Formats: sequence, C-alpha cells, structure tokens
Amino acid sequence: MADETTLTAAHPAQERTAPPPAGPARTAAPEAGPGQAEPSGAATGSAVRGETGGTRTVTAARGDAPTDDDRVTNFFKVAGGRRTSAASRLATVVKRSLALVLLAALWEVLPRAGAVDPVFVPPLSEILVAWYDMLLAGQLPEHFQASLVRSLSGFGLAIVLAIPLGLAIGWYRPVADFLSPVLELFRNTSAVALLPVFILIFGLGETSKIVFVFYACAWPILLNTVSGVKTVEPLLIKSARSMGLGPVRLFQKVILPAAVPTIFTGIRLAGAYSILVLIFAEMVGAKAGLGYLIQDAQFNFRIPDMYAGIITISALGLLFNLLLLSVERRFSTWRTS
Amino acid sequence: MSLQTAGHNLLEESVAEAGEASARPVKIGIRNVGKVFQIRGSDRPFTAVQDVSLDVREGEFLTLVGPSGCGKSTLLDLIAGLTSPTGGELLIDGTPIDGPGLDRGIVFQQYALFPWRTALANIEFGLEAKAVPKRERRERARHYLDLVGLDGFEHRYPHELSGGMRQRVAIARSLAFDPDVLLMDEPFAALDAQTRESLQEELLRIWEKTNKTIVFITHGIDEAVFLGQRVAVMTSRPGRIKRVLDITFDSREGDLRADPRFGEYRHHIWTLLRDEVAAAQEQERTIG
Ligand SMILES: Nc1ncnc2c1ncn2[C@@H]1O[C@H](COP(=O)(O)OP(=O)(O)OP(=O)(O)O)[C@@H](O)[C@H]1O
Ligand SMILES: [Mg+2]
Repeated sequence: MADETTLTAAHPAQERTAPPPAGPARTAAPEAGPGQAEPSGAATGSAVRGETGGTRTVTAARGDAPTDDDRVTNFFKVAGGRRTSAASRLATVVKRSLALVLLAALWEVLPRAGAVDPVFVPPLSEILVAWYDMLLAGQLPEHFQASLVRSLSGFGLAIVLAIPLGLAIGWYRPVADFLSPVLELFRNTSAVALLPVFILIFGLGETSKIVFVFYACAWPILLNTVSGVKTVEPLLIKSARSMGLGPVRLFQKVILPAAVPTIFTGIRLAGAYSILVLIFAEMVGAKAGLGYLIQDAQFNFRIPDMYAGIITISALGLLFNLLLLSVERRFSTWRTS
Repeated sequence: MSLQTAGHNLLEESVAEAGEASARPVKIGIRNVGKVFQIRGSDRPFTAVQDVSLDVREGEFLTLVGPSGCGKSTLLDLIAGLTSPTGGELLIDGTPIDGPGLDRGIVFQQYALFPWRTALANIEFGLEAKAVPKRERRERARHYLDLVGLDGFEHRYPHELSGGMRQRVAIARSLAFDPDVLLMDEPFAALDAQTRESLQEELLRIWEKTNKTIVFITHGIDEAVFLGQRVAVMTSRPGRIKRVLDITFDSREGDLRADPRFGEYRHHIWTLLRDEVAAAQEQERTIG
C-alpha cells in the first residue's frame, strides 16, 4: 500500500530548482546513436513499429476500421461472446457463493448435530430469527443508526480535513518539513492506544467516538494523498509547464487528477477502518451502537442476538466497501488495469 | 577522398547561401550557453552542454543531430524555458527567455500525454491554457486530430493508443495552440516508415503554410537532411555545435531522397557524426 510513503521525499513543486538527476524520463532515452551502425544513412528506417502498414497515414490510422465483411463476422463473434460471458458470469456467481452457502449449511448443521455447542454457536436459522425479531422491535435499526452516524461523521471529517492537508504536505516542501516530525510520531501511535485519551478529553459521549474514528481514518487518506501528489510523473508536470501553466492551474489540472486514484485507495482503506475501530470504541463504552449491542448481548447471554449483531456489522462493512469501489471506478476509468 | 571534396563543396555553398537567410530576423538566439548539472551524491559537476552558440532565424527549419546523450534534449529544455542555463544567455525575439510560454510548443521525446484525458481532451489542453472558448477548442482539436490521421480515435485514452498514435496526439497538441516556435524532440522516432514519411511531408506543408520556426531533433540523418534548411551537428558531451550545414536543393519536386545531393549531404553528416558517436560511446563506458 501507499501507506509506506515517507513524508520527506522529493517534491514536484521543487522540480524547477532541483530536478531529479536520474528520473525515469531520462533513462528512457533510446540507446542507438545516429548513423553509428548505418553507413548508408538508412537510420530513418530503423525504427519500424507495428502499426498497420498502409501507404499513407490515413490508411495506417484507419487500419482497424471494419469492412462490411468484418462487421458480419464480428457480429457473430460478439453475439457468441455475449452468450458465453453470461454463462461464465453465472458460473462465477455460483462458484463464489458456493463457499458461502457451504459455510451457512455447516453453521446450521454442526450445532444441530452437536458437533459444536449450540449454546455458544447456535444454528444459523436461530440467529436469523433473532435478527428479524430485533429488526421488528426497532432495536437493530436504532443501534445500526447510532453506529452509522458515528462512523460516517468520523469518516467524512477525515476526508474533508485529511485530503487538503495531504495536498499541502505533498505540494509544499515547507509544510512537509514543518509537519513531518509530528506526523511521523503520531502515525506510529496506535489509534486504539489513544482512545482513553480521547475519552478523557471529550467524555464518553458521541464526540470522543467520532474523533476516534476520524483519527483512525485520517491516516490512510493523508498518507495516500501525500504519496499521490508526490508520485505524479515529472514529465507531465514539465509538459504542462511548457504550455505556460502557473502553479495554481498546474495543481488543478495536473496534480489533482493524477493523484485522484491514489487518494481513492486511501479513502477505501479509511472506509474499512471507520467501521472496524468504531465497533471497538462502542464495546469499550457506549449506550448504543452495534458494538454496544454485541457486548451487551454477550453480557446478558443473548447469544443469538450477539451473532445477529456481528452479521450486521460484516454486512455493513461489505456494503460500504462495495459502494466506495464503485465510486472509485467511476473516477478512474482512464487507468490501465 | 571524394568525401572530403563533397564536404568542401557544401561548405562553400553554405557561405554563398547565407546572404538570403540572414536577412530574416533572429528568432531564437543562443549565446555561449552552458548547462551544468549538480549530480546527487557527487561533488563533481556534470556538464551537459557547453558554449553553444546558434541563431535560429524566423521561419527557419533547423534540424539538430548529435550522438545520444550529447545534450540535445537539454538544449531544447533551455529554449523552452523549462530550465535555465548555468552560463551564457538565450533570447527569443531579442528578449531573454524567462520561463516557458505558449509562443513555443514542445513535443517531448517521451509522449507526455495526460493519461486521464482522452486524445481530444489532450489536444485541448494547450487551448485551455490559452483560454480559447470551449466550442472553438473542440473544433480546433478535432481539426488537428484529423491532420495527424487519428479521426475516430478522439475518445480513446492514451493507454488505448499505440506508441506512434500517442506521439501523433502529442504533435497535434503542440500544433493546436499555434505557437510561433515548434521544438520537436525526435517526434517521429516511434513511427513506422510510411507514417513517418507522410508526417514529415505534413510537417513541411504546415511549416511552409504557417511560417513557424522549427527546431527538430532527430537521430535519423535522412530525416535531418529531408526536413532541415540547416542541419546543426553536435559534438559528444559536453555538447557543442560542431558544424552547421546549409541544405539546398535545386528543386524539391519528385523524390528528394533520390537526388544525388541528398546522398552527399547525408554522407557528409555521417562522417561528422562518426567520430562523435565513437567518443560518446567511449565516454559512457568510462562513466559506467
Ligand atoms: N536533470 C538532469 N540532471 C542530471 N543530468 C542530466 C539531466 N538531464 C540530462 N542530464 C545529462 O545530460 C546529458 C545530456 O542529456 P540529454 O537528454 O540532453 O541528451 P540527448 O542528446 O537528448 O540524448 P538522446 O539522443 O539519447 O535523447 C546526459 O548525459 C544526461 O545524463
Ligand atoms: Mg534526448
């Protein structure tokens, strides 16, 4: 992951005064010198590259424009392709869910057969019944909402604050130099270790939990943003500068779009963290939320309720990740893979 | 032996022709320019180009050849204003070059396309920088995409284009914002022979029509002779100008490459380069 970036590597903003001496742009230069191996001066013909070899540019460029015959055969190919892809998609769905179905079946059968203690691991059907009961009783929605509000607040706050900070650190050397010692220190301090501090400062209420989620989420976003800005291809910056772009527009038109995919990786990581750490906070001290629900159910020996809570959390995490993935895809259609 | 005489003939001619060309004002003035790089982890400075003096006149097509690593791209960066010289001065229209500008368009050796922009949007980039209205931007971008033979590819991202196509988009991008000066760094190196030839002709046509000043780096001696009104030959690093050759043909009709003078020029440049290439290779071996 891009988490491993240090905060002090070369800055693109410094390109003009201190260009990297051996960047990839420099090493890519071709090796052969002119005429060195071609006394007849046939050097121009030496770099033949595989495009359709038409006699004129236009034919070369349109080499892949289909003729009518091509179109007919292509149509069948496409139609055939679609059928097989639908079939194979079905196959993957079956393959993927097979393991899940198997797990569910085992969960149902093993406790009933007495292979595991049904008191500690009740059969799945009982858990689903418990889940449904809690849903109707309004218990589940209440806890679900409490957790969602907290994690979304912390996560949102992290996006709003960590991205601009990361952009500033990645782009302005002085900001990085100033902040990086503090950041290095905190980055290596576990969020969990700081929870007692947050509770001391912000109390047991909502604030401490939101701050805690925010803290955990801010790191992946911050570090990925910094690395996204710093790893922008120097040649692209050079190219944009050659077209007279000043620092502001350079940032807006080159640095930002180039960094978006890396920033998104950070956001997706943060999304997972936001739920993960929140549950922990809710188990330590809360009066609502899915973490509280699990803890409370365990204390009062409502084992099916406990599992119902756990399943809800997993589903929430899964949903969150899928949502972020689809947003990410929309923003990085231009990426190769 | 015959080589030598051919060389002398050409040189005499270049003196004779100089009168007409020098009537034009100097567009790019390069005066005793040097560029020294400070290499990381070494206190020995690294001289890329040294004491280069060259005048490129308005509307001139100058080609630049030299062994690999002799500082051609470095010189182009200096003219573009992307780096500043450590010695001497560079002038454009008589005023010192102070940073990049839209009066000069540069086509980089590596296709410097923005991967998040489609072919069309890449061409529009310079036009946005120039604050051309959106409608006109679209039209102009399409026009230049057609010109390089890529109509139908406007919505492709760079990674969906071949290397040669990418380079053509890069060429279209610098043509589109209509700079006075075109700085081209081996723009046709990645193309197949046919595409290259048709683009060479296209470039000549554009140059004749628009009267742009063009500095064109190439590794192809044929290409240098075919395109250039003058060919500047550089020495091995530290790069200096070894010789500037005037290229004149009685007529450009028909197959220029079959003209006996074409062969003479080619041979002359080849001899000039031979020793430099050998020197450059030796240098690279010793540096490691
Ligand atoms: N930013 C830089 N820092 C340090 N050295 C550099 C830098 N840029 C170029 N050089 C060095 O300067 C020399 C000239 O490089 P340049 O790219 O101008 O060569 P070139 O003539 O364009 O070569 P080629 O024909 O292979 O493209 C090379 O030896 C290169 O290693
Ligand atoms: Mg070069």
